[in-house]
Amino acid sequence: MQDHTTEQELRDRLSLIENMIAEGRRHTESWGWMFVLWGIAYYLAIAWSAWSHSAWAWPATILIAVIVTVILASSRVGKRPGTTLGRAVGSIWIALGISMFLLFLALGLSGRLTDQHLFMAVVSALLGMANGASGLLLRWKVQFASAVVWWVAAASTCFGTNSQSTIVFLAAIFLCQIAFGIYGMVADAKGRELRGSVNG
Amino acid sequence: MADLPELNPVVHGRLRLALLSLLSGVEEAEFTWLRAKTDATDGNLGAQLLKLEEAGYVVVKKKFVLRKPQTLYRITTTGRQALTAYVQALKQLLGHAIDT
Repeated sequence: MQDHTTEQELRDRLSLIENMIAEGRRHTESWGWMFVLWGIAYYLAIAWSAWSHSAWAWPATILIAVIVTVILASSRVGKRPGTTLGRAVGSIWIALGISMFLLFLALGLSGRLTDQHLFMAVVSALLGMANGASGLLLRWKVQFASAVVWWVAAASTCFGTNSQSTIVFLAAIFLCQIAFGIYGMVADAKGRELRGSVNG
Repeated sequence: MADLPELNPVVHGRLRLALLSLLSGVEEAEFTWLRAKTDATDGNLGAQLLKLEEAGYVVVKKKFVLRKPQTLYRITTTGRQALTAYVQALKQLLGHAIDT
């Protein structure tokens, strides 16, 4: 067979194997919409709590975001193949969601959610942990960079005035949720365009 | 040329190679997912998957999810070994092509 097989064809086959293996392992880019959704949810919760000072602002917004996420994700999960890596990354985010929901619900209801600096630092640190773990598992530098931004925000929000901390927190949400989510969606769309037909 | 390895013709087909490579990175995958990733037609995809199944490189599992039929494919140990051997043969051939 190899008598008729050109070097270019062999290279093409090797490249096809690499692309397809990478394709099967891609995960987070397909979930870019979720980062954008949660970025909007954080902005809504901040606006609601600033406007009404309601203890329900965060738990209620997070609960609604969880319901929307579950509905949208359930329609996509069945279309994706199961992988150990996918389950590992998914587990991190599910555990983060449960931790944040329970923690902030309890803090809100107990009336102990009074220190704005501490609240923003804890949210930033938790999001930094989840993004950092996902980035390391997926060996995705952009997501790890997003984690670094969250960790810097976590440390920064402990200092400065309320306004300064809030600006840092809002900027981190924009960079790590909205911008990163849009980047993920664009990368996913570009990937789909680049993938040619492999019929034959 | 006599020392050079033969490329497994079952694995060498472009679509079959893409399918084995895709399946090597996941535990199992649905027919629809494989179709989306390869842009193959239903007929061609089904035919190539059948060839891989006949060679013992993939196994098929059919089930119903919410009353909808779902066809799942999984690479076998033999299929994984065949893909590994194919990659090694490919690298050897490429190395030979560069040397000559």
